[in-house]
Amino acid sequence: MAEQKSKKKRARRKPTRARAEPAAETALAIPEPEVEYTRPEAEPEDETFEISLRQQLIRELDELARRLRAITPGYSAAPASAGRVIDVIEESADKIAPGFARGLRDTVSRFINEDLLDVDTWKGMWTVLNQAVQYQTDMFRRRLTGEYETDEWGLDREFMEAVRPFFEFMYKKYWRVQMSGVENIPAEGRALLVVNHSGQLPWDGAMLGTGVMLEHPNQRLVRNLYATWFPTLPFFSDILVKMGQVMATEDNGIRLLEQDELAAVFPEGYKGVGKLFKERYRLARFGRGGFVKMALKTRAPMIPVAIVGAEETYISLAKSNVMAKITGFPYFPISVTWPWLGPIGFIPFPTKWTIDVGEPIPMDHYGRDADQSLVLVSQLTDQVRNIVQDMIYARLAKRRSVLFG
Amino acid sequence: MTGKRAILVTGVNALWGSRVAAQLAARADLHVIGLADTPPEEMIEGLDFIQADVRNPLIVKLLEAERVDTVCHVTFVETARSSESAFDLNVMGTMKLLGACAEAGVRKVVLKSSTMVYGANPGNSAFLPENHPLQASRSYEYTRDLVEIEAFCNGFRGQAPGVLLTLLRFAHIVGPKADTPLTRFLREEQAPSLLGFDPMMQVIHEDDVVRALLHAVLNDVPGVFNVAAEGVMPLWKVMGLAGKLPIPFLHPLAYLGVSLLGPAFAPIALDYLRYPCVGDLGKMRSELGFVPQYTAEEALREFAAQQRLRKYLPESVARAYDEERLHDTIERRRRARTLDSEPAAPRSRGRASGKRAPAARSRTQRRAKPPTGAIGGKR
Repeated sequence: MAEQKSKKKRARRKPTRARAEPAAETALAIPEPEVEYTRPEAEPEDETFEISLRQQLIRELDELARRLRAITPGYSAAPASAGRVIDVIEESADKIAPGFARGLRDTVSRFINEDLLDVDTWKGMWTVLNQAVQYQTDMFRRRLTGEYETDEWGLDREFMEAVRPFFEFMYKKYWRVQMSGVENIPAEGRALLVVNHSGQLPWDGAMLGTGVMLEHPNQRLVRNLYATWFPTLPFFSDILVKMGQVMATEDNGIRLLEQDELAAVFPEGYKGVGKLFKERYRLARFGRGGFVKMALKTRAPMIPVAIVGAEETYISLAKSNVMAKITGFPYFPISVTWPWLGPIGFIPFPTKWTIDVGEPIPMDHYGRDADQSLVLVSQLTDQVRNIVQDMIYARLAKRRSVLFG
Repeated sequence: MTGKRAILVTGVNALWGSRVAAQLAARADLHVIGLADTPPEEMIEGLDFIQADVRNPLIVKLLEAERVDTVCHVTFVETARSSESAFDLNVMGTMKLLGACAEAGVRKVVLKSSTMVYGANPGNSAFLPENHPLQASRSYEYTRDLVEIEAFCNGFRGQAPGVLLTLLRFAHIVGPKADTPLTRFLREEQAPSLLGFDPMMQVIHEDDVVRALLHAVLNDVPGVFNVAAEGVMPLWKVMGLAGKLPIPFLHPLAYLGVSLLGPAFAPIALDYLRYPCVGDLGKMRSELGFVPQYTAEEALREFAAQQRLRKYLPESVARAYDEERLHDTIERRRRARTLDSEPAAPRSRGRASGKRAPAARSRTQRRAKPPTGAIGGKR
């Protein structure tokens, strides 16, 4: 039966060849409009008539196909097509209950026949596809001819949109980050986030940025101030700049805050990010207080932020000074997987993260030259450090599991 | 002669000197003396050309005799390999000229430098202020000479506080005729870029360089200034706009290539393709008061257009189509004629119709003035 159908199919699909036969032309010319399932008004009215006519037609077509095959040896029909699928379904539907079969056939022919065999469907799909391809090639061309915009720090919105799904996946699915206190970040205007650093690679900065982007009502962009080592690494430097991150210098920080941006500092620096596993959640020294000077000079409120969960993403058992010297890295961690397993060592552990944003510490009541006062700067440095440490301990006390929070 | 402010421009046989001198010479209130060791290729109307080297010890006498008010020193020789003679001309020449200026009582000196003196370092701020330490690599002779000159200028300010010293640090200069490390990098199709690095960059169009130098000569603005066009953009965007196809190399391989092949491999120090070296323009806007005409994008588009044209036209034809230049020439000649027709005009110039005219004029003027010894035209 299937063979018969395929023969019929072949005949139907090769009208030019069929026309070579005078008998075939007459056979095709009259019944073909009746076979068109796409006509909904013809179908439900006279079903029995249609079926008998079809059988007649099939017989004629079989004959035609036989003759056709004799003329064209070596040609075989397409293995699957919309029409054939319907035929097969109709045949098997004969064996099921008639009401159900009819409903099924109606549905199938509505879906396949009317939509897929409709030229407009293909036109629409072609338009969409064409549009997508054109957009992609156009973007590629624009990137190649320099027709794109960055801000003065190098932030590239197009690039950010492209990589955003990855960071959102890491934020929502991988580390299941839970953010609290996001309302402490002002809706607009300058502010300086002071964050604890951990986890060997700067994932914490990336997640903080993603979190504020997702959870803050104004979707503010966090400008992380990153350490000197990262721009020496290929791709890292490129990606950081395109994501709107900025090299950690006092000039940069002051300029950012004066532009009313939301900046984030990790005052522990390498000492924090390269911490050993046994030292986890113990804050390292908070640098020389450069961030306090930035805040005092620009009168930007400091907002303490505690990130818990990032410490366990890589388990650094020891640090190798020899390897650090050879590779030129500021620190060279030795973990269970790194450097033994090569790139696999980069895969972070899927711990549960929490990001707690604390109350802002206002800076506007200090005088103009407050940033020159060494005593005030060191006092404020210690004060912020203690707040962040307390926030970390408070969160750790609530945490039951490293993996599930 | 007396009522006019005398301005001495060095290096008038090269691009910057000749362009600055031509612009200054077009002004009626200035007496422009051009200094170079070879005559300029093209006649500059109204320029008082003197053939001499800036290192000549008698320069001080020339400055005194001509009562030079302002010196605009733009001579800078750049060689592919580190060369003692280039160092001698660049650094020693500047030192000797500045010394002569101090002795001769020159009121103002304008110098041209580059933001490349800050050096491209990973720890650089995004916008370097003028007081940022000059950390350019000493192994790259282009910046080495500039840093030497700047270091000398720092000392000179203390030694000769009476001389107004304006130092303009230009960003990477681009333009149809400019020959700078960046233009060589953009013009050379095989020049490598670095994979995974995309530092922010600043450029300035060559016309704006000339305008900035004029601005500094005509206005008294002592100090050091970063000068660049509006707009900071990543290197890959610069390459895209300038029409250079990026040829990315892994950076260790690229550095190896430079150490093996030298400047033939990369026409610009690779650090400038790796780390940012961008000047803060706040001081240019507020103190210098200079506004570049081209934005960075416009400058690069213009550069790319000229670059494309250059592919199709031989050098002589490309010049023939240079409308701007002919327009300038016509304007200059028209002005010269109106000056001639006014009898009161103190500076009557002969109907210059050939290449010899300025030289001939300078000779007559030389004779009319006290002898200046060895300095003067060789003819």
